[in-house]
Amino acid sequence: MIKRQNLVTYVIALIFILALSFFLPRMMPGDPLMAIYGDEALIAMTPELKAQLVERFALEQPLWDQFGAYFLALFQGDLGYSYYYNAPVLKVILGSLPWTLLIVGTSLIISTFLGIILGIESGWRRGSKTDRTMLTGLMSLNGFPDFFLGMVLLIIFGVILGICPLAGALTPYSGLSGLPLVLDVLKHMALPVAALTLAHLAGSYLLTRNTMISVLKAPFMLTARAKGLSQNVLKYRHAGRNSMLPVVTMTGIWMGRVVIGALFVELVFAYPGVGQLTYQALLCRDYPIIQGVFLIVTISVLLANFAVDLLYPQLDPRVIHAY
Amino acid sequence: MHIDLKKEIKQSNFARTGIIILVSMIAVAILAPVLSRYDPTQQTAASLLAPSLSHWLGTNHVGQDIWSQLLYGARISLLVGFSVGILSLILSIFFGLSAAIIGGLYGRIVMRIVDALIIIPMVIAVILVAAYVRPNVLVLILLLSLLSWQGGARVIRAQALALKEEGHVKASATFGAGRFYIARKHILPELTPILLVEFIYGVRRAVFVEAGLAFLGICDPMLISWGTMMHDAMRFTYLNVWQWWLVPAGVALSLTIIGLTFISHAAESVLDPRLRGEAVA
Repeated sequence: MIKRQNLVTYVIALIFILALSFFLPRMMPGDPLMAIYGDEALIAMTPELKAQLVERFALEQPLWDQFGAYFLALFQGDLGYSYYYNAPVLKVILGSLPWTLLIVGTSLIISTFLGIILGIESGWRRGSKTDRTMLTGLMSLNGFPDFFLGMVLLIIFGVILGICPLAGALTPYSGLSGLPLVLDVLKHMALPVAALTLAHLAGSYLLTRNTMISVLKAPFMLTARAKGLSQNVLKYRHAGRNSMLPVVTMTGIWMGRVVIGALFVELVFAYPGVGQLTYQALLCRDYPIIQGVFLIVTISVLLANFAVDLLYPQLDPRVIHAY
Repeated sequence: MHIDLKKEIKQSNFARTGIIILVSMIAVAILAPVLSRYDPTQQTAASLLAPSLSHWLGTNHVGQDIWSQLLYGARISLLVGFSVGILSLILSIFFGLSAAIIGGLYGRIVMRIVDALIIIPMVIAVILVAAYVRPNVLVLILLLSLLSWQGGARVIRAQALALKEEGHVKASATFGAGRFYIARKHILPELTPILLVEFIYGVRRAVFVEAGLAFLGICDPMLISWGTMMHDAMRFTYLNVWQWWLVPAGVALSLTIIGLTFISHAAESVLDPRLRGEAVA
């Protein structure tokens, strides 16, 4: 059950993003090809290739036709060509996507689960010493940017203690396979996942705790208590389940940002995911890659929001009647 | 809504801690030239020196004094934070209030645009634009403000719509008050606490994003900011310079954000008294 209003919103968001990534390079002063591909790529291009590209992007035609050509290419799944990697943008991005999905996905699951549990426990004991300690601690943790947390973890566990590897996702040239390979991957992802988990934990914790506190005052909690249910059933089945709704929404929205969610952390650990790719592209002005990442992020964000819209009435039937 | 600010601050540990942190940061930013002996942009000694009496936190890879950079870094963070906070709040008030009091087709169009902008991840949009324009401070402030007013506009509109239906506002309309008179005299003043919370959110978000962009190295590289310091220090983690280079910059940034988080948490629980801590019944 999806409202027409929401669809309009998605269409506007998509148009905004497409317009931004279309007009931005073309409004820069100088040669539009240079703005689209970056100056380094332009030096390497032959005049024939330039002519071919000018034609492909319809760069000599009115802006409106250019937009048509751009749109058509996108719908055919053509995100452009990276001259830095000498490969289609889509292929380059898909190559580093699994690593990002691995670390962001893992940390998202851990931080959401842990955040909900801590939020329920803390909300249940609201006002007590445990609650106040947890609240202060996690809210302070919330202030640390993920890249700083990552660097601190890297220095403690990588440099000083030497337990974890300093960079990358695999030991290069080790030729491992089977179980040792899995262990190697796990060892490399431990620190990035820890940094991301710590950075996201506070969000789901605070949201669960706040909802928990209002849910605990609802009349149905009194009824449940009067029925003589045990503490744990009250805490988790009645109050906890109802406190999870906003967190589910938040996690859903975060899912859309999975692609780019580890931008800073990947940079710190030189982890070969989409974030690292974006950073490299920023350094060498490989604009097609930046544009490609941006479009993929937007589309996954829109899809995730759409999924949350679809899923939400299943979780909370009240919203169907709210309109 | 009538709130006794002084009393609330006195009662809330979070508000007090947050305000103390924030005020000290502002003091550091203002007094930076008094508290430091060197120009943070000048090479004053050999590079990568350890802390000493003349350079309290040593020097960085080009021989600039880290202590001065740390102090001047507060200026950029707070300047970007507060300017973006104010500018995006003004945009939120303009669009949120006008959507509520004019309503109709205009209101619907504004709200659709707001909803669409809320979905778009701001950090990514800023990175895309910054990749092309390599913003200086002024452009960065404008860019962040233009991309971060939407959340506030939604909240302000919802509150203004509720206020519009209240008895005293209706009464004022029957005395012939125009829409804009009502918005200015009756609705806006009552929104003050919400505006304050939105402002703090805006500041916090901007401080965060500015540091992130500087850390990625896509702002003006001549700018001295905590993000730039961490960006530079990251390349030297194998040396022991992180102790007096990376950590102070990171802690200063985190402290500022924590201070703002505490203030906004305290302000939120003033707005929503259900969230106030109290013992289990």
